[in-house]
Amino acid sequence: MTPRAVTSRVPRIALLGNPNTGKSTLYNRLCGLRTKTANFPGSTTEHQVGRCAIGPGADAEIIDLPGIYSLVLEIPESRLCRDCLEGKIGDGRPDAALVVLDANNLPRHLQFAASALRRGIPTVVAINMIDTAKRRGLSLDEHAASMELGVPVVAVSARSGEGIDRLREALAGVTAPDAARPLPRLPLPDTEIGSSAAVRWAAEVFGTIASHPRTDDEDGRTLRDRLDDAFTHPVAGILVFAVAMVCLFAAIYWLAQFPMDAVDGTFAWLASGVEAIVPPGVLQDLLVHGVVGGVAATVVFLPQIVLLFFLLSLLEDSGYLARAAFAVDRVMRRVGLPGQAFMPLLSAHACALPAIMSTRLIPNPRDRLATILVCPFMSCSARVPVYVLLISLLFVGEPLLAGLAFTGCYALGAIAALGTAKILRVTTLRGPSTPMVLELPEYRLPSVRTAVGVAIERGLLFLRSAGSVILSIAIVMWWLSAYPKAEADPRSESLRQQAAAHSATDPSRAEGLEGEATRLDARRQQAESFAGRLGSAFEPIFAPIGLDRQLTVAVLTSFLAREVFTTTVFVLAGAGDDARVDQPSTLDALKHSQRDDGTPVFTTATAASLLVFYVLAMQCLPTLVVVARETGSWRWPLAQLAYMSLLAYFAAWLTFRCLA
Amino acid sequence: MADGTQVRIPLSQLARGQRAVVECAALDALPIDHKCLLAAMGLGESCQVRVCRPGSPCIVQVDQTRLGLPRSLADKIFVTPLDGGT
Repeated sequence: MTPRAVTSRVPRIALLGNPNTGKSTLYNRLCGLRTKTANFPGSTTEHQVGRCAIGPGADAEIIDLPGIYSLVLEIPESRLCRDCLEGKIGDGRPDAALVVLDANNLPRHLQFAASALRRGIPTVVAINMIDTAKRRGLSLDEHAASMELGVPVVAVSARSGEGIDRLREALAGVTAPDAARPLPRLPLPDTEIGSSAAVRWAAEVFGTIASHPRTDDEDGRTLRDRLDDAFTHPVAGILVFAVAMVCLFAAIYWLAQFPMDAVDGTFAWLASGVEAIVPPGVLQDLLVHGVVGGVAATVVFLPQIVLLFFLLSLLEDSGYLARAAFAVDRVMRRVGLPGQAFMPLLSAHACALPAIMSTRLIPNPRDRLATILVCPFMSCSARVPVYVLLISLLFVGEPLLAGLAFTGCYALGAIAALGTAKILRVTTLRGPSTPMVLELPEYRLPSVRTAVGVAIERGLLFLRSAGSVILSIAIVMWWLSAYPKAEADPRSESLRQQAAAHSATDPSRAEGLEGEATRLDARRQQAESFAGRLGSAFEPIFAPIGLDRQLTVAVLTSFLAREVFTTTVFVLAGAGDDARVDQPSTLDALKHSQRDDGTPVFTTATAASLLVFYVLAMQCLPTLVVVARETGSWRWPLAQLAYMSLLAYFAAWLTFRCLA
Repeated sequence: MADGTQVRIPLSQLARGQRAVVECAALDALPIDHKCLLAAMGLGESCQVRVCRPGSPCIVQVDQTRLGLPRSLADKIFVTPLDGGT
């Protein structure tokens, strides 16, 4: 490397710290929106990298490493931090480290700083949350701290911005080309965090650099004690959690509908724009139904994902989530999952994608994998249109039974998830779970700035990880359904002529005839397209659960996304792809739709069998992509797809046999 | 203690508000990864703890850090009580 290359390269700074030190808040404060998710070269491990201004026209790259309690623990997060500091992953050793400590907990955090300093990298220590510590009586001597640790020490409040400018200057100092000087020999403890020597050293340093704050180690019960009691209580804790979750999901459903409608509207506008510009033909078809349709199918989930992570970040930052994990831990343990799994499983009722991404909160890899594998069983919002359609066909004019069936679908999904978790934990993923030991942070007002940062990060990650693959497969699925182009059904031609004849005298009859002609053409296209031929080929497989060729096509085309099923059956029934389940005419058309042999497409047994199938089947390509991303291989999502499909098929077959 | 000996009891048996010292060998019964994690979180040898909530989870305060532990883990951590609880 030439000297010029060395001097012109943006310095890389590793951001290290314990969980609950406000590390993410500091990262967001330093980098703002100039952040992206990246992989270490040669690894599937993701981390955040942001650009931080450290002087006029000078930037540094901040590598946001996971929050860890120790660099020597044999857990993936600690290993990642070690490897990064030692230059085993990424582009060599970082130029500097920024170690974040909690001012309210300095004696313990000083031990962490010592273990990081022993790595021999130029370091700046940021003592965060100095504002709250000052309010509790802490008085910190930054100069003394710098002398004791041998590196620049800056007291900051990432939340209020106090000390951030001085922190940028300190970072510029340690990363300047002429700043490469050896660290002074410090009397750092040789032993690891928690040892008597380390504790003694930290106590001595703390005594030198700070005055003791008031402690809240009173004998009486504090408000924090009372809240902890309530939130972790076996009954009250669960009740509070249930209320919190109902509010959370109600807020997501309510708030997400507006941006989701906007996304829908935007893509519909885009599609009509393309139709207006591009002449009818293959290219228009590809752009409208393949590209725009495929992107819309992905982006429509984005509002729910962003909102979920925004609200979860607020809850986590408030300190409540750690307590809630204990409240549900005793329930989850019975099926071999930790308390932290409850939140992903619950959020999977909105959408499995953010739920799977949020399993990163689960520290034990086996627990995390088991949770990822069972999340898609939970009835997500994309299943709802399918449930509504099939239950409406099953229970016409019986709202009570329909309501019970709806509840039953959710219960069946949850039972399948918990049962599968239990099976996984006694077979493939056998092994002890790590007991859930959690630091219970202080209660505080959550930071909206941090929550926005988290929501943006997760939203971009979702778009990047799922978007490209989904778009490719959407185009393939469109092509399979659209080609080869079938000739118009001979009967549709005469129906259209009749419609034209009646258009002036009897418009409603003309509309009916036109609809019937469209249905016949759609059926012919479905039958003769590659997807239709696949349907015919697969019909013998799906016949035992009551499906004919048309429903087989509907199931196959909904592999991309299960909600496609409703659109496909509407088209088959001639209701049009803008039909809605709550329209009586649509339901009527579906009830009277016939198979090739003239028998009804939907019988009670068929509708019930399909309902059970859709409760249990995977039928969601984005989920498979995200599972592959999160587990680092396609082995698990493929096994998950096979297991869920087989279970769904068997349960549907059983249902069909009982009701046929 | 009347006879001058110090009684070592599991952390889970302390009452609310009671303080105790974690014995040097108190964590030896735990798997090494649990022991290292607890130590890194502040629950190391010779540290003083105060019980904020007995039971499961057992919530203890070590210096300014508050930790929640499952009862099964608190059963395996032996401590020497310093005073009575409430």
